Amino acid sequence: MTTKKKIFKILLIVIGGAVLIGGGVGYYMFNKPARDVQSTKTDFSYKASEIVNEYLADAKKANAKYLAENGESKVLEITGIVSEISEDFNNQKVILLKADGEKVGVSCTFTSETNANTLNIQIGDQVTIKGVIRSGASFDEDLDMYENVIIEKSDIVSNK
Amino acid sequence: MKKTIFTTLAVVAIALTSFTASAQKLVSTKTHFKFFSTTPAEDIQANNYKAVGTIEKTNGDVVFSVPMQSFEFEKALMQEHFNSKKFLDTKTNPKAKLVGKIVDLSKVDFTKDGTYPVDVAGELTINGVTNAVKEKATISVADGKIALMSKFNLTLNDYKIAFKKGKPSTNIAKTVEVTVQATY
Repeated sequence: MTTKKKIFKILLIVIGGAVLIGGGVGYYMFNKPARDVQSTKTDFSYKASEIVNEYLADAKKANAKYLAENGESKVLEITGIVSEISEDFNNQKVILLKADGEKVGVSCTFTSETNANTLNIQIGDQVTIKGVIRSGASFDEDLDMYENVIIEKSDIVSNK
Repeated sequence: MKKTIFTTLAVVAIALTSFTASAQKLVSTKTHFKFFSTTPAEDIQANNYKAVGTIEKTNGDVVFSVPMQSFEFEKALMQEHFNSKKFLDTKTNPKAKLVGKIVDLSKVDFTKDGTYPVDVAGELTINGVTNAVKEKATISVADGKIALMSKFNLTLNDYKIAFKKGKPSTNIAKTVEVTVQATY
């Protein structure tokens, strides 16, 4: 085999390898699964009233702090009193953390995998829920009501 | 004595008025918004269950506030594209909003079971861009439970959601179908 042929062969292998790796990475990126919120490290832990008040004080600043541009926003652990338990159109459990007398709370949506963990929760319980923040609390003039902080992909962390 | 009776009556009247006023507004936190896009390349859909809506029974005002980061896609990469600055910029504009009115409210009897097709006209704000819209919707009343359904098309370019090149431009339709479901 001449040197030229050898170089050509090595070049082919290198290029072939690069195309395979590139294609593999591209394929992985395109099909990558959604982030697993529950196995993601918690960014902040608050009482329900703390995150609500931070949003009511300055929503713009809070959005800059908690929302991510690609939608993978901060993972929070929120502790509060269960004031409502319901179910959405996707059969996901929704727990509203809001103390008596508070005008707005934190609405936490569970998933088909975590729904079962809410079954022993009762109104009035103090619980800690981990999930990803989707939007903050605010007073909406058109609705003429307060909107809750929204947490999704939730699971129960502790139930005292 | 007369004065006391008058005061009592006034208080009762005010209490009753404010009670009726709050009873006229329907609130929905059980909602479903769906985007559906179809192209020869692929079908894409996104679902959102966290919108809040109201209907004012007396004047037909309809409002929806939709948290944009709550749209879930099958593929994580699509969801990232959707949220990114280039497309919906959900960090800057976390909520989309419809502020409208049932223009033919007289057709609806909220106290009688039935299905009432209506027109809702108003303003829709997505991605920080507001456009006038008029869409068909259906109000249904069953056992005192009130629900709203609607299906309409949305031209992405109207809201400065543009996919100029690459995969998104060939795989996302220029007009997407939006389905709305809410129980009050």
